[in-house]
Amino acid sequence: MRIPRALIPYLMLAGTIILIAVFAPCLTPFDPYEQDLSRALTAPNEVNLLGTDRYGRDVLSRVIVGSQTTLCASLLLLLTIVTVGSAIGATAGLMGGRLDVFLMRMSDVFLAFPQMVFAIAAAGALGGGLFNAALALALIGWTKYARLARGLVLTIREMPYIASARMAGASSTEILIDHVLPNIAGPILVTAALDLGTIIMELAGLSFLGLGAMPPTAEWGAMMNNGRSMLQTAPWVILSPGAAIFLTVAIFNLLGDKLRDVLDPKNR
Amino acid sequence: MKLKTKILGALVSIGLMMSGCGSDQAVEQSSAEKTFTYGTVAYGVAMENAGTNPHESYSGWSTLRYGIGETLFKFNRSMQLEPWLATDFEQIDDFTVKITIDPNAKFSNGKPVDGAAVKKCLEHLIANHDRAPSDLKIDSIIAEGKSITIHSTEKMPALLNYLSDPYGCIIDVDAGFDNHIVVGTGPYKAVKVTDTQIELVKNENYWGVDKPKLDRITVKSITDGDTLTMAMQNGELDAVQGLPYSSLQLFVDKPDFKLSQTDTSRIYQIAFNFDTPALQDINVRRAISMAVDKKNFTDVLLHGNGTPAVGPFPSNLPFGDQTVNAVEYDLDSARSLLNEAGWADSDGDGYVDRDGQNLELNYLTYTSRQELPLLAEMMQSNLKSIGVKLNVNATDNYKTFLKTGEYDMFSKAIVTAPTGDPEYYFTSHIVPGAVDNAGHYDSAEIAALEEQLHNTYGADDRSALAIKMSQQVLDDCALIYASHLKMSFVMKNNVEGFAAHPSDYYEITSLLDKT
Repeated sequence: MRIPRALIPYLMLAGTIILIAVFAPCLTPFDPYEQDLSRALTAPNEVNLLGTDRYGRDVLSRVIVGSQTTLCASLLLLLTIVTVGSAIGATAGLMGGRLDVFLMRMSDVFLAFPQMVFAIAAAGALGGGLFNAALALALIGWTKYARLARGLVLTIREMPYIASARMAGASSTEILIDHVLPNIAGPILVTAALDLGTIIMELAGLSFLGLGAMPPTAEWGAMMNNGRSMLQTAPWVILSPGAAIFLTVAIFNLLGDKLRDVLDPKNR
Repeated sequence: MKLKTKILGALVSIGLMMSGCGSDQAVEQSSAEKTFTYGTVAYGVAMENAGTNPHESYSGWSTLRYGIGETLFKFNRSMQLEPWLATDFEQIDDFTVKITIDPNAKFSNGKPVDGAAVKKCLEHLIANHDRAPSDLKIDSIIAEGKSITIHSTEKMPALLNYLSDPYGCIIDVDAGFDNHIVVGTGPYKAVKVTDTQIELVKNENYWGVDKPKLDRITVKSITDGDTLTMAMQNGELDAVQGLPYSSLQLFVDKPDFKLSQTDTSRIYQIAFNFDTPALQDINVRRAISMAVDKKNFTDVLLHGNGTPAVGPFPSNLPFGDQTVNAVEYDLDSARSLLNEAGWADSDGDGYVDRDGQNLELNYLTYTSRQELPLLAEMMQSNLKSIGVKLNVNATDNYKTFLKTGEYDMFSKAIVTAPTGDPEYYFTSHIVPGAVDNAGHYDSAEIAALEEQLHNTYGADDRSALAIKMSQQVLDDCALIYASHLKMSFVMKNNVEGFAAHPSDYYEITSLLDKT
């Protein structure tokens, strides 16, 4: 299978970010957690390219290690909500009846809440921490994929190949795994790619509010929170992780857009 | 067409009228009024001082800070007592004191402050407040004209100090407590009180010599340091308290602003939880105490707005830091002590362990005091250097964790001598069973010394006992005292009579003015 040429630059950029995250511990010029108060708030210079924070920690090293924390947490969260949401939606669409009604009304309840407000409340109640922040986002994030998967299943449920499988004696689980999921995976993957940027932003947002990563974890949102009182006096502390979030989100959003264009049959 | 024009005109007129009526301030506030807007991080539910009823938790701090209430006596800048609503007192015997009230004193509703009103207020205080009954130990109060005679259940050498605590603000109990508003005797009276804002107007009946100079004051709770900084920079506020230390330099030596700073007895302390088995070993507590880099905490993280602490009291008090000794910052000795206690890094993971378990501690603190998360993160690094793993839980929901006991160390900010007397700190935080003894520190020596202190009259003798008690706490390594705070106000250049006070609770007074 050939990768469409239009996708290559975006895949390369996204790949670079992922590689940085994977090999982060080997790429940092300094220990991102080593405090040296004698070097606190040093402006960017030839030694500390992005300066140091209030604890004298190298900001570049923390941004690099932060990519691992931020991307890993975001990807795991995305994987969770895509899997759980799609499974719920596909089951509801395929089984129909009361189960469908129950699952969709449940998703309606969650959809009634503004996503970020719900996540802030849930993360606050759970007590903060990166895991709890991700859990809070997952609690409300699955509904989107459940709705999408259900809609897609409803369109293919009556297709001849599903009917054939049924007539051949396939069970609902077999139909779901062998015939339904492969046929709805494309649009779900495109949506997931488009969502990655949003999830990075939301997780970083919770950390920025103090509801995500706990000290001293290097996480972009938490780093911005740490530097926000210094926007006027030591702007590099907040701008560096801010720029990292901006670039990463922009790249993944552009990749998602391109992926949608490439995979959309109308554009073929 | 004409009809359309008329309808449009009418709508525009109605819109303009409505926009004019929409703002209460626009109607109530004339341009001739002198107004003052004060932004602070120190007011709100998290601080337990939302509201102005001094008989509730720490709300008396708001009553006193914002010029609504006054106490019988007050502290001067040396933390010595001076008359305020009272003119004099007479110690009749060890259990009885007679206080004479200023004949001119009156509440903001015009009602005179007499013995009966003060008696009613103090009785309401001890019937409703959480700390006051155990502090004051009042047996009976006799009101007689412009005086009251207080009889205590036991010797109360520091009674007048306790009566000068913010909860001792004298209010007109008969006027009620509706909408969190009380009637006090201060230069300003509250007209609207919410969890985030207090609106004050001039007390036209103010009895003091210096009359209030401002017509309207708004106290705004702004807990975000950046918002506070920017609101001050763009002129929305006339004065602020609690700016982030990194922002203070934005206002230093600037022609439009000025600063008022003073040392206070507010301290950042860390209590060891004695219920944690590992922390029951004094060598472990001592090692941890030795690993705290207090100097860099104050110099770098607090930008010099604090002094490294030795004990609980600052050196401007006679029983302060200059009189006690604590372990010094010494990482090598700290490591040795841990080894002596049986903790060593046997698996090479960077953390000391014993019986296969790392020395891992949960550190609880809250974020509404900006210094505490900084201290937590520095502690995390300091303790890592001696092989102790610290998990920080910085949450404003900390009380839940305090109740459940899910912490090994608890860090908080408190004023140790709000009454200018040392006993308050020991009775509230140190003696066995004290309300805020979060570490469950239980020392028979401390209990005995407190008993002695409680029955000792005379400042020198009380100071000597306080020094002994502080030293005992330090010898037991029951708590770590990190830093004393320097309090800072930033204000516009045209603000007069607004100065930081060592007590931390006299802020808005009748001297406040805008030129």
